[in-house]
Amino acid sequence: MKNIKGFVILASLLLLFLSVGTLSGQEIAIKAGTILPISDAPIENSTILIKDRKIAAIGQNIAVDADARVIDASGKYVMPGMIDSQSRLFVIDNELNERRSIAPELNILDGLDPYIKEAPEVAAQGVTAVYITPGSRSLIGGSGAVLKLNGSKDVGKMLLKDNIAVKAAIGVSSNNQSSSLGRLANYSSIREALLETKIYMHNKEKHDREQAKYNKKKAEYDKKKEARPTEKVEKPKRPARFRPNPTREVLAKVLSKEIPLQIEVHRVTDILNALRLADEFGFKLILDKCTEGYLIAEEIARSKSPVILGPVSSSFADMPRLEYRHHDIRNAAILSGKGVKLALGVSGRDGASSKFVALAAAIAVANGMDRDMALRAVTLTPAEILGVADRIGSLQVGKDADIVILSGHPLDSLSQVEMVLIEGKTVFERKDQQ
Amino acid sequence: MSISFCLTSSGSESQSLAIRASKIWTITDGVITNGVIIINEGKIQSVGENIEIPEGIRVLDMSDKDVMPGMIDAHCHIGLSLDIFSEMDETVAAVAADMLILDAFNPYSDDVKKALSCGVTTIMLAPGNRNPVGGLPAVLKLDISKANDWVLVRAAGVEFSVMNEALMFDREPTSRAGLMDLIREELDKAKEDKDDGFNPTRDILKRVVVANKTAYIWARNVDEIASAMAIVDEYELKAVLVTAEQGDEIADMIAERNLPVIYPPLLLSSRDKDLKRAGKMANSGIKIAFASLTPRTDLHDLRTSAILAAKYGLDTETALKSLTINAAEILGVADRLGSISEGKDADLVILNGDPLQLTSSIEMVLINGNIVYQRQEE
Repeated sequence: MKNIKGFVILASLLLLFLSVGTLSGQEIAIKAGTILPISDAPIENSTILIKDRKIAAIGQNIAVDADARVIDASGKYVMPGMIDSQSRLFVIDNELNERRSIAPELNILDGLDPYIKEAPEVAAQGVTAVYITPGSRSLIGGSGAVLKLNGSKDVGKMLLKDNIAVKAAIGVSSNNQSSSLGRLANYSSIREALLETKIYMHNKEKHDREQAKYNKKKAEYDKKKEARPTEKVEKPKRPARFRPNPTREVLAKVLSKEIPLQIEVHRVTDILNALRLADEFGFKLILDKCTEGYLIAEEIARSKSPVILGPVSSSFADMPRLEYRHHDIRNAAILSGKGVKLALGVSGRDGASSKFVALAAAIAVANGMDRDMALRAVTLTPAEILGVADRIGSLQVGKDADIVILSGHPLDSLSQVEMVLIEGKTVFERKDQQ
Repeated sequence: MSISFCLTSSGSESQSLAIRASKIWTITDGVITNGVIIINEGKIQSVGENIEIPEGIRVLDMSDKDVMPGMIDAHCHIGLSLDIFSEMDETVAAVAADMLILDAFNPYSDDVKKALSCGVTTIMLAPGNRNPVGGLPAVLKLDISKANDWVLVRAAGVEFSVMNEALMFDREPTSRAGLMDLIREELDKAKEDKDDGFNPTRDILKRVVVANKTAYIWARNVDEIASAMAIVDEYELKAVLVTAEQGDEIADMIAERNLPVIYPPLLLSSRDKDLKRAGKMANSGIKIAFASLTPRTDLHDLRTSAILAAKYGLDTETALKSLTINAAEILGVADRLGSISEGKDADLVILNGDPLQLTSSIEMVLINGNIVYQRQEE
């Protein structure tokens, strides 16, 4: 009897706990006209179910809780939140660059201002995540991070992932004169840093081996000493101390393929140099900007290195710089046509420009890029390149519920974003103004 | 490209041509579905739904395509033989009224080919904004195959700038008041009309203060626009405001004076507040045309300006007009350009979709009925 009473109390407590649980994590059902999952073909007239900040189900006959919040998006388009893979949102002017030329241990998160006013405007255009890297002034300039535009003022809560890639630059005129000699120097400085890292790694391994040997000998020595304290045993010699070097440690991660090296390159020679470096050292390369890529598209495709391309139109760029002299608006179309894995970034002149992600994709389409590839280039492809595709980039069960509802197709220039959800939380809802 | 050029050189204007199109955006007379345009001697002979195509005439079958008038870039600096950021300003002298921008134009530059691939068939080639009195802009059609036919207006009005960019440290004027004083002084001299021999500056400014030619005045912020309007009022000028980005904040004052605005590229802005300004001004009754200000933006984005403005509140009809007829009217060439109507030049852009969709590609461009650009698949 006593046991049964106890069981009832326990069960009711459990029930109470469960109901509180569902209240805080209320189900959301989006009844969608057209779903663009990006990972698969479009789905008509289906429901997306959101549970505990994740996509729980997508389909036509899904059981929805009676108390679920239902969002009517019939006749509308539903797609994953877009990603600006070349953003400078949250970055205060001139704080993208450190004066040191080799500074890979810096983390972009330390230089961000989460209080900037533009973020909600960017989110309102369906951009739910931005990838921010250090600038191109240092040859090797620190690592970038992906942040969500979830309205938080806490960088830690916006952060999806940091240490995504170490940013480098070859032949960028903003610091070094972009003479061929300057570019050559860039190339060889980066190469030197990587070579030194190789030596560092070698020395570290050697030290680790010696240290292990010493540890073993020391343990034997201690054991003998303990058993026969009076006996004279030769004490093993401790190997020389090894000083870890933060710069080298980060570059070692690049060389061991833990983190990609993202190299900003514009002109053909610089792109070729970046490819050569990757060949020589075997690191994971991400080509950034890749302005003249269209001239050697096949070579880039053969290297299998992904590209984060931008700006699609030179109008986005800060000002016409030397690197953009041979900028061609068909670059994205040509590269992706040759099979290069390609993400499109805005690469705008300021943070608010990140709102132009869909516009950049549309410009690429007008100039020959496949429509599906262009949409993928602002959603799933950047997520894959940046190593966050397990969380964002497509509408698939298990991924974060970062969802955009639009009045029309995202590539339709006059479509309006109606609603934006990040992890199931509404961060933007369009009020009927007109 | 090679095709387009041989067509250009061999195409004679006396040849007649008919274009069948899915949609003809006439601009001044609505949209014609499944229509025909007949071109004769470089002019539009007729346009409509039920038009019979004469026997033996060459027919361009574009029945799945859209046709619009050639776009007009109301202010740009292309074809100047300069590197990247150009010296389109005469920065030694503050008054450069007799500077003819056409003298610096290279009709064979890559810029011109690029403009055609963007559907831009006519431009106002303008000096920059660093001279209080800045020289003479020109209106050009970009079919340069026949000598000088492409110069529509050699010296169209006079450019002025009351922007802070016109102030320098090492040249007078160095203040806004000094700038205004200088412009007034020059205009007064022209108005006095004393015949004291050769004086090119006075003779040119006379066109503005006496002959009522257009003054193109660069002014961006509210205060600069107010300065521009002060001069317009005092000298009763026929004027056009160039850029006038913050014009929406004093839209009633601009509309009251009937001042048209040549609006800068929307992609130079990124805040929602700024992206809405062009639409607000047009809705207040101000006539606007768009400018690419190339090399500041890509020529391709002239059309982007209209599309973005439409997304941010400008009605689509006005957005299209701002790329065509409005610009033609502001530049004084609407008798020949800006719409698909009988008697106008056959300057046409053929797209594979709605002109206000960024994803629509420009397939073919004609000037005076000659094909000057044809898109090649990769």
